[in-house]
Amino acid sequence: MRIATELREGLVISLSALRANKLRSALTTLGIVVGIVTVTLMGTAIQGLNGAFKKSISSLGSDVLYVQRMGWFINTYEEWIRAQRRKEITIDQVKALSKQLTLAKAVAPVAQGRSPARYKNRSSGAVFIIGTTEDFLQLSGVSVGEGRFFTEGESDGGRPVVVIGSQVATNLFQKEVPVGKTLKLGGVGLEVVGVLESQGRFLGAFSMDNMVIIPYRKFTGNFRGRPDYEIRIKAVSVDKMPDLEEEVRGLLRKIRHVHAGLEDDFAINKQEQFLETFHKVGGTIASVGLFITGLSLFVGGIGIMNIMFVSVAERTREIGIRKAIGAKRRTILIQFLTEAAAICLLGGLIGIAIAWPITMVIDRFLPSQLSISIMSIAIGVSLVTGVISGFFPAWRAARMNPVDALRSE
Amino acid sequence: MALNAVTTHKLRSALTLLGVMVGVFSIIVVMTAMRVLQSNIESSLADLGANTFAIQKWPAVYFGGPDGFEKFWRRKPLTMYHYNLLREKATLAKNIGVEGDLWAGEVSSKYGRTPPNVPLMGAAPGNFPAKNWEIDQGRALLQSDIDSLRDVCVIAAKLSEALFPYGSPVGEKIKLDGINYTVVGVLKGHGLSMGGNQDNFAVIPMTTGLTRYGRAWWSWTLLIQANGSGDAYQDTVEQVRGILRAARKVPAWKDDDFEVFSNDSLISQFQQFTFSVRIGVLVVSSIALLAAGIGIMNIMLVSVTERTREIGIRRAIGAKKRNIMTQFIMEAIVLCEVGGLAGVALGVAGGNVAAYFFKVPPIIPFDWIAIGLGICSLVGIIFGTYPAVKAANLDPIESLRYE
Repeated sequence: MRIATELREGLVISLSALRANKLRSALTTLGIVVGIVTVTLMGTAIQGLNGAFKKSISSLGSDVLYVQRMGWFINTYEEWIRAQRRKEITIDQVKALSKQLTLAKAVAPVAQGRSPARYKNRSSGAVFIIGTTEDFLQLSGVSVGEGRFFTEGESDGGRPVVVIGSQVATNLFQKEVPVGKTLKLGGVGLEVVGVLESQGRFLGAFSMDNMVIIPYRKFTGNFRGRPDYEIRIKAVSVDKMPDLEEEVRGLLRKIRHVHAGLEDDFAINKQEQFLETFHKVGGTIASVGLFITGLSLFVGGIGIMNIMFVSVAERTREIGIRKAIGAKRRTILIQFLTEAAAICLLGGLIGIAIAWPITMVIDRFLPSQLSISIMSIAIGVSLVTGVISGFFPAWRAARMNPVDALRSE
Repeated sequence: MALNAVTTHKLRSALTLLGVMVGVFSIIVVMTAMRVLQSNIESSLADLGANTFAIQKWPAVYFGGPDGFEKFWRRKPLTMYHYNLLREKATLAKNIGVEGDLWAGEVSSKYGRTPPNVPLMGAAPGNFPAKNWEIDQGRALLQSDIDSLRDVCVIAAKLSEALFPYGSPVGEKIKLDGINYTVVGVLKGHGLSMGGNQDNFAVIPMTTGLTRYGRAWWSWTLLIQANGSGDAYQDTVEQVRGILRAARKVPAWKDDDFEVFSNDSLISQFQQFTFSVRIGVLVVSSIALLAAGIGIMNIMLVSVTERTREIGIRRAIGAKKRNIMTQFIMEAIVLCEVGGLAGVALGVAGGNVAAYFFKVPPIIPFDWIAIGLGICSLVGIIFGTYPAVKAANLDPIESLRYE
């Protein structure tokens, strides 16, 4: 009960002190506002980047392995030169592997190429071609919007059918219905059987809608005879992923005749690798960014401490009188702490009010939102800054000898 | 007088200084670290000799989506044919070389073996001057090595140390990828300052390499050293471009289907790409200095109020408004400069921690130190002006009467 009264009294006194020195309080608050705005914006930007990245790689699937000749992340030049010299993965190897795998739900070979596409008099620049089997639908995040995916029969028979991405559909067919029409892909006529739903861009750069999917037999027949396949393997369940990875490694080493003691001549890639690399790089960037912006908050805190010392010095007599008529150390301490905390809290609130419209501007370039968590962290940080930087001046005030304080000028 | 005022309020001045110091520190530390990173990358980019340019199918620095990539991908490779053609027709060039990375892995000799990270390069005699390779022992590759596809190699200093710790490697055999090569020469080391595995590679004649590692679609780097800088250099570039355009049948209205670059062009390209990043970082790190400036203004205002009587007395005995103003602005600038100097010292030290990690020589960015101190004085002037004006405009009579 006593503490509550003291808190209320401290609050009243500190508010009136703030009002008495309007310009001074405003400038001190401004220092904190600058700090809070930069920290909040940095936090929002980092969160936005994180979110955009996670959303982007979720299309890779957490239960899919991507077996390729090259790893996704090659750290040294020497590693790259060696990987460059590995032999291609052939369709026979894919078939042998898929026959022997026990922990896989689906396996599909993926061959990639590029070619311009034409329909009537409209043509688009090079589109990304994927040659694969009907199992591809289960293995990738794509879903068919209109029409259907090609069937097993069409895939094995190398029929001239194609499933097109949404960007290809709008570019080539504009307002026409694409399903059932025939487009020319690098001079090869293909009937459109389905249109994929839009998937957006991968990591903000690479549009996944500018692609077409054709049966791999058609791909080897018309585009490249012996492509370097990528094998996509979906596990029966996510927790079987490590087992599946070992199984794939063992089988593929046997199929590709890798001698015991030599390293794998292929790479097994998965979504996790992206996450790991991102956490490493993103973590460094985030900590450096927060450190730099945190410095400005620190400077703001120093400003508060400085002004509080001045305030204590100016009010020495007042403190002396209050102590003489019975105020405890705690009461004085609370009074000055409340003053510092009030400045900071106000600064934090104003900072958020300023940062909010700016995040809306950022949102245009990078999907980001001022989340409740960041807002509460900002307010918490400003409060802590106030308490920490207010503590020393308050402590000095609280320890004053009432006799000396009363005597001071 | 300004110094006197600063010393009377030790704690207050110390805290204000601390604010400025942190502000300057944040600019200098970031800029020093960026400079260190930059010089690290630049020194690894710039490994060509004097007046030398390189020609490649791929650009050296490329930031763009896979859509733009296709343009480069479609280009025809640069081959030994182009190398021989240039040797025959490029009359202005002093040296012509060809380079390609063939393999990387473990190298072994009778006395030792290396980790599997040693690159094997194919080269021609012209590479040695063009890449600043100096011979320490033995000889360089000769044209006869190229012509008769000899199994000889020249090894770099660090590799030589690893394989032949006791004596001269010249005349000894080393094994790469299961094939024996006779060492005919050892290159001088560049020292650790260049970072990484600069001195850790082996060089064999390009033609020998092609018989083992050749692929039809592989493209090599052509190295051309001009006779001099300035016009002689430009003429050589034009001549080589002309020869290659004709050989690759590039129509007159089209751009080159190869990239020409030199040390300078590489570095300026790199700086262009990082320009916006540097500006952004500068802005973010200056914000702390802004906060410090606000702190200074606040404390100066307090100082003016406290010394109202002093100002009154000075005015009464004849000080002009201008004198009072100079006094307070000077006080702000002194505060800023002392804090700024401390911040610069800390910042340079902090930024060079990065230099320590990247094993590059420490850097003192004098221009940024000057800019940092300049901004400091500017902050002092801007944020000191209002309090100073306020002090100067005090009515002497009123201020003498003040408490």
